[in-house]
Amino acid sequence: MPAQVTQISAVTAAAAHVLCLAGLAAAHALAGRGALVSNPALALRLLVVCEAPVVIAVFSYLRRDRKSCSFIKAAARGLIGLPVGALLNAFGAIVLGAPVGIKYWTVTIYWSLLMSLFTFVPAACVFGASKIDWQNVLSHSMYVLDFYFTPTDADNYIISVPCHGAVLGAWLGAWPMPLDWERPWQEWPICVTYGAVAGYLVGMAVSLVLIAVHKRRVRAKSD
Amino acid sequence: MGAAVAWWTVAAVLLQVAGLSLFLYGFFPVKPTLHGFSGAESYRMPSCGPVNAVEQEPALPPNQLRSLYREVSGIPPVYDRLVLMVIDGLPAEFVLGRGGNPPSKEMMESMPYTQSLLAGCKATGYHAKAAPPTVTMPRLKAMVSGAIGGFLDVAFNFNTQAFLEDNLLDQLHMIGHKLVMLGDETWIKLFPTLFARQDGVSSFYVRDTTEVDFNVSRHLDFELVAKDWSVLVLHYLGLDHVGHIGGRRSVLMTQKMKEMDDVIRRVHDASLQDNLERTLLVVVSDHGMTEGGNHGGSSYEETDSLALFIGHSVQRRHCSPYDQNEALQVDLAPTLALLFGVPIPKNNIGVLLPELFNSLTDDQKLRTLELNSWQILRLLQAQIPAFCLEECINSEDSLGIDIHPEYIEKKICHFLSKAFASHQSSRLQQSSDFKSAEALYVGTAVDNYHGFLRYASEWLSHRATDKPFYLLISAILLMTLSCLFLMGTVSSLFKGQSLSQAYHQSESHLDQRWHLDEVFILIGIFLYVISLGSSSFVEEEQYTWNFLTSTLYLIFLIKTVQSMLKGSNSTLVRRVEGKSFDANNFSYATNYELTPGKRDGYKLCTVLIVLIAGRVIRAWHQGGINWVHFPDISKSLAQADSSIVKSLQTISVLAVMTLYSVSLKLLRAKSKVVRGVWWSHISCGLLVLLHIWENQINTSLPINHNTTSIAKLFYAIASVSISSTVLASPWIFPIYSMEAKPASSDSNPVKDIDSRGIRNSVFLTGITYIMFWCLLQLLLQQPINAIPLLLIFLQTFSSIAYFSLDKTLHKQWVQVIAMQFLGMAGHFGLGNTNSLASIDVAGAFIGVSSYSTVLSGILMFIITYGSPLMLYLGMLVYISVKDSDDISTQRQLKLSYILDKMVTLPCLLPLLINSVALTSYTTVLLLMRNHLFVWSVFSPKYLYVCAATVCTYVGVSIIAMTAVYTGAVFSFQTR
Repeated sequence: MPAQVTQISAVTAAAAHVLCLAGLAAAHALAGRGALVSNPALALRLLVVCEAPVVIAVFSYLRRDRKSCSFIKAAARGLIGLPVGALLNAFGAIVLGAPVGIKYWTVTIYWSLLMSLFTFVPAACVFGASKIDWQNVLSHSMYVLDFYFTPTDADNYIISVPCHGAVLGAWLGAWPMPLDWERPWQEWPICVTYGAVAGYLVGMAVSLVLIAVHKRRVRAKSD
Repeated sequence: MGAAVAWWTVAAVLLQVAGLSLFLYGFFPVKPTLHGFSGAESYRMPSCGPVNAVEQEPALPPNQLRSLYREVSGIPPVYDRLVLMVIDGLPAEFVLGRGGNPPSKEMMESMPYTQSLLAGCKATGYHAKAAPPTVTMPRLKAMVSGAIGGFLDVAFNFNTQAFLEDNLLDQLHMIGHKLVMLGDETWIKLFPTLFARQDGVSSFYVRDTTEVDFNVSRHLDFELVAKDWSVLVLHYLGLDHVGHIGGRRSVLMTQKMKEMDDVIRRVHDASLQDNLERTLLVVVSDHGMTEGGNHGGSSYEETDSLALFIGHSVQRRHCSPYDQNEALQVDLAPTLALLFGVPIPKNNIGVLLPELFNSLTDDQKLRTLELNSWQILRLLQAQIPAFCLEECINSEDSLGIDIHPEYIEKKICHFLSKAFASHQSSRLQQSSDFKSAEALYVGTAVDNYHGFLRYASEWLSHRATDKPFYLLISAILLMTLSCLFLMGTVSSLFKGQSLSQAYHQSESHLDQRWHLDEVFILIGIFLYVISLGSSSFVEEEQYTWNFLTSTLYLIFLIKTVQSMLKGSNSTLVRRVEGKSFDANNFSYATNYELTPGKRDGYKLCTVLIVLIAGRVIRAWHQGGINWVHFPDISKSLAQADSSIVKSLQTISVLAVMTLYSVSLKLLRAKSKVVRGVWWSHISCGLLVLLHIWENQINTSLPINHNTTSIAKLFYAIASVSISSTVLASPWIFPIYSMEAKPASSDSNPVKDIDSRGIRNSVFLTGITYIMFWCLLQLLLQQPINAIPLLLIFLQTFSSIAYFSLDKTLHKQWVQVIAMQFLGMAGHFGLGNTNSLASIDVAGAFIGVSSYSTVLSGILMFIITYGSPLMLYLGMLVYISVKDSDDISTQRQLKLSYILDKMVTLPCLLPLLINSVALTSYTTVLLLMRNHLFVWSVFSPKYLYVCAATVCTYVGVSIIAMTAVYTGAVFSFQTR
């Protein structure tokens, strides 16, 4: 399996992450400071609109099966993966207690689209319908400790680690919601979004570190 | 190994119980109180010797008693009529200002009449410090009895029973005063038979700020003209409601204060109609409020309550009304008692307010102080039994006055003898003609008395709240030790298990790697323990449990999906899975062939059911403190037609009955016992239905004898059938049945049937427990909880099915803890919170015809811990269906071996988790003992933690005893 897979270099990974970061930064610049609190629907929409093309393009470029799959096809997979991942994320959020009232529908939809971009879409672009890869990536999430302390492929890191970061960040971001601090950002999904974005950023940084460490180890071995 | 584990566990539990009781004893001291009512003996000097030997005075008719009191006291009553006006939640700051400054202009203008009285020196106001917990009922008790109750008093009196201690109102009633009460119905609950006329309003509807006060004021016109009463209690709740809604600065506040001012004006005008001016108007508040309008804690804002006296004896030429006049709320009791010529209540720790006695002569003033001192001295004697006044005075005389007395007895002695000596000398001086000398002696006597009274009062009130630190620390050490014992036992168990596992299945992929679910459980418990340190998280604990539980099951979902992908991928894994499937013969699908695809489908479905049911349960009750007013399903159902709730209840009962029939069918046991149990279950279900319908028809009648007898019949049938099932089930299943069914998928029938007998019997017992438990809950719980109960039951069942469908996916300890998590989430899903207010008291009287604290206590416990106990009972079903091939490998069924395999983990893990929670929360409570919310948030939660410990013990002992009994019977039969 690893033979046909093009190894991603640390520079490529960094470039990919920088592009994704640029998408987020553009959305932030467009929305303005504090827009997430004052108008969460607008801010989330901007985030999704700016981030979606970047993520789909970047990860379609990094697709696994270069030979059998064109860039357009990978991008199409990403486009289909976006609503599917959004559905899964929305299910998770609602089961964990996100409000289901009508007035929350728009923000929930935008939030889950954003989470889908962080979690599901990269994997959909890169893996497509390959069962083995999906199973692999899921089992990485199941054996978290092992995954982080034993080396695997670089592109596993580039997909999984920011995804884990986003999910963990969102999960942790939900903790202040029931408290009686009476702050506007305690509303669904503001602090969860903050957590998710923060976790995503941390995940990107960690994935770069892991890739660099991994590369060095591989080089040392080959020497 | 089994015996050692059991002994260690028992030792740990005993240690825990010892530590818990030590902590409870130290943290919630039960102070000695004096029983009975003060009588004429309180006008005599207390004698030495045993305090309990109270000479019983013959009961006198009111008039004679009144004249007797007047005679022996030597002080004429200053007033004849009392108007006690309680304004709930009014901070003294609003009327008297703070720190010597008058209140803000806005406040001054909203109470013009009261302020004019204060400015005209016709009224005296005090900042009467209230003791925590600053909630209405204990504060009213403190005002009328002068005693500060401990926290447990409050906790155990949540179903407000009548107040039986010595108190002012009963004393006034005894000497023939006629009492009228208008306002908060707490008064009626405290004094059910005392008032000649009463109109209680409920403080339940906090949203209502006008009606609740109008219902009091509408009687004023009549009552103020009526001459028959001599004590009028008015209790206005509106201001407290305003605070709860909008806080101190609510726009409604000034308006409400104007209304209160108007009432004060009307009452005062009416009292001035009496030319004799024998009416005293007392305006008090039971507690203050925080900036946000809440109360319960011990901050200055909450404890700063008002005591305002308007009457002839407080009038002076000159006064400075906005001085920070400090007093205690309990001072009200002795002051009023002395003003009205009744004995001071026995447990009073308050000190009379001297400004109220301006109209008395110096001699009479000293007499009031003397009476107050004697009363407090009696109370002191109850607390320090060895203390004796006469000895003390005599020894003082001989030894001279000790300047720095160390012991409390010595100190009291010192103060007392000084006071009595100066009183004596002032009495002697009275006969002489030197006026100035007399005034001097009186002054020193007054000072000495006050010195004693303040000191003794402070000591007594500290005595009620002081906590012995080292005792608490040692209690926590005991609990920690017990926790470590349990941890050690569990870890040694794991070590043994992993060894045997390595021995048995070397090829297995049941690896030593940490899985996400295992890591998550550890992190989740850690986060939960951390969250206990924050009062907000304690208030909103339901969110924590819901979040943790649904996250855990989401991880299960991901893991299931992953295993499905893996299963369809690698052939090697499929072979292993297939093998484990062959060995899998869980009882209620014994004869069903499941293809791997179908099994995966079922697994997905069961996890999804748990998740979705959990979400619905969460939406059912908007629990907690802060978000309680948000809409939820139970509120919308309460507003809807009652027939909907009734039909939901009916559906739940029918569903439980159907599920029981189905699971008995799956057992395929054609025994008379099984059929009998089935019939009794159906009849019990019908009884519950009947009870529901009966209740629906006669909602107007508070006690319906019909429903009581139905419930009693239910209890009888259920207990008989459960006990007979437990006793009989091990005997009815075959141990060696060579005529094994050929249809079973077992490869080696002789061995397997061995273990199946045990498993079937445990299954039958467990399923009977849980189904009857469900019916009992449906009978007892509020009607609105029927569907959540059914959902929790579904969750239990789905989890058991999920765990039995794939035994290799999760380790056993994960499964046990997941079930415990479900139980906790369900506990809050049934509308329980960490405040004592959410306990369902009404359900505790179903089927109880006479009042019995023990019976209703048990029922209350059953209602509150319905969900965790259901999961513990479900654990038995889980044991019976979980993978236990190892049992069958033994030719001889050894009791210890069976128990070891079956019940060690399901018993130990709940104990361990509970021990961790208990120990950490006890530590939190010790650290928070001076926290603002210690009485309003942390202490109620501690009672819940203690009750949860009891619940764990009950659940674990049921599991253990059932398993031991079944195992014993089987090993006996095979012998």
